[in-house]
Amino acid sequence: MSCPGFGELNIPSSRAFWDDCEEDEFENLKPVEKLKLKFDGESSGEEAPLESDLLLVIEGVHVTHFGTSALAKDSKLVCGIPAKSSSLHWSPSTKQLLAVLEEDLTSSGEITELLLPYAKLAKKVITLTLKPKVEFKSENIQFYRDHIAIVRGVGVNQKDVTELEAPNFIAGVAAGVATWRDQEELPVSSFVVYTDKLPLDSTAAQPVIKLLQSLGVSCSSGYIPLRKENSYLYM
Amino acid sequence: MLFLKDKRSKLDLAEHTVIIPSICVGNAAQLACDLLIASKQLRRIGSLTHPALIPVYGPSAYQHEPNEKVSSCELYEGSQDKLMVVQFRAPWVARHTASFQSELVELLKGARRVVILSGSFGFEKRVIEESPWAYRASDNFKEAHAAQLGNQELIKWKEHKGEAIYGGGNALQLFKSFDEQQVPVMLLFRYLLEGDNSTDASLIVRELNELCEDFLQLRNGGDGSFKLTVPKSWNLLFGNDVTELLF
Repeated sequence: MSCPGFGELNIPSSRAFWDDCEEDEFENLKPVEKLKLKFDGESSGEEAPLESDLLLVIEGVHVTHFGTSALAKDSKLVCGIPAKSSSLHWSPSTKQLLAVLEEDLTSSGEITELLLPYAKLAKKVITLTLKPKVEFKSENIQFYRDHIAIVRGVGVNQKDVTELEAPNFIAGVAAGVATWRDQEELPVSSFVVYTDKLPLDSTAAQPVIKLLQSLGVSCSSGYIPLRKENSYLYM
Repeated sequence: MLFLKDKRSKLDLAEHTVIIPSICVGNAAQLACDLLIASKQLRRIGSLTHPALIPVYGPSAYQHEPNEKVSSCELYEGSQDKLMVVQFRAPWVARHTASFQSELVELLKGARRVVILSGSFGFEKRVIEESPWAYRASDNFKEAHAAQLGNQELIKWKEHKGEAIYGGGNALQLFKSFDEQQVPVMLLFRYLLEGDNSTDASLIVRELNELCEDFLQLRNGGDGSFKLTVPKSWNLLFGNDVTELLF
C-alpha cells in the first residue's frame, strides 16, 4: 500500500490479509518454500529436538540483544530461527532452552510449527512477550501513566502477577506455543510485559529481569544495551 | 491442525448449520459471530491452527466461558440447535491462504449447510434505493430454502452475480470452494463502511434470523424480538480513553 498524497483518502483494499495482499490476487500466489530451522554444518535442518526442563520463549521487537546477552550467557547456539535474527539456545547445565524471537507476525504461524517439537518435549514452558506500553488497553489507563512496565500473565497462578484482561491478547510465536501447550493440557505460563522503552534499556529491562528471576530462569541481574555508535543529533 | 476437546477424534456435522465469517470491511462478520456465540452461549469445542493464521493467545473473549483462552480460529457449537460457528481473531497470511481454505472446506464439507457472512464497501452499492443486503446461494441451497428465499415479503436481498465482493475478503472464494464440493452454501453480505460496526453486526444476526429461524434458533421474547449479548472482548473497541495530557 503506497503512502497517500496530501489530502488523498487511502482506503485499504482488504482487511483479510495481514501481508497487504489484494483480494483478487491471493488465488494466484505461488506456494512458498517451507521455512526451516538453520542448523550449522551439513544437517538438513531436521536435527532431533532437545529435551529440556524449561523452554523459555521470549519475543518482541529488537529483543535479540537483550535475549542473547542477559539470558543466553552460558548457552550455546542450537540453530537460527528464520525470522530476522531469531535463534534457539541451549544451556546443558540448567537444561534450559531459550528461543529469542524477533517479532515477525507474518511467519509466526510457520515458526510456531517449527518449534512445536521442542515445546512438546519440554517439561515446562514459559513464554514472555514484550510489547510497547501504548498497546495496553485498560479502562483505567491513567493509572498506568508513569509505570515503566505493566506485567501481566495469561493463565498463571502467581501472586504478584495480575491476569491479563480482555480485550488485551498476545500474538506471535509465543502465543502459538502457549496455545498449543494449553490445548494439549500441558503446563504453560505466558507473560506479557508492556514496556515504555523498546528496545529495552537498562531501566526498562529491570522489571523483565525481576520477573524472569521470580520464575526461576537463570539470567543476569542487569542489562547494558548495545551502545549506539552515533547519533543523528549530536556528536 | 485441528484440536478438538473431550477427546473427540473428528467433527460430526451431518445435521449442523455452520456459520463462517469472512474477514471483511469493518470486521462486521466476525463481530456478528461474536454476538451469536455470546448470545447463544455456544460452547467452545475446539480450534484450528495453520501457518495462514497468526497465532493469538489471551483471556477469554466471552463471559460465559471465563476459563477459555482465545486463539486465532475457534470452533463453537450449540449441540441442541445443531449450530456451529467458526470465529477468526486474526487476519490471514496471503501466501498460505489457499492451503488453509482447502483444509477448512475439507473439514466442514460434511455440514448440512454452510452460511458465510461478509461485508462489502458501502460505496460499491450503485443504486442507493436498493436493499443494503445481498446474497449468493448454491443451487442445492436455493432448492432446500426455496420457500424462504422466494418470499419477497420476508427477504428483500438482492442476488449477487458479480465476480468480486470488494472488501469481502475471501468470502466469494470460500463460497465457490464449498459449492464445488456440493455443500449447500449461502453467502450473505451487507454493504457497510468502516467505523463502529457493532450495529452492522447485530443487523447481520437479525437479518439471518429473519431468513429462517431454525438457522440460529434465537429464542424471541414473544414479541418477535430477541436480546443479543455483547461479549466482554468488545470493551474499549476503539482503544483507551484519550489522555488528559493532550488538553
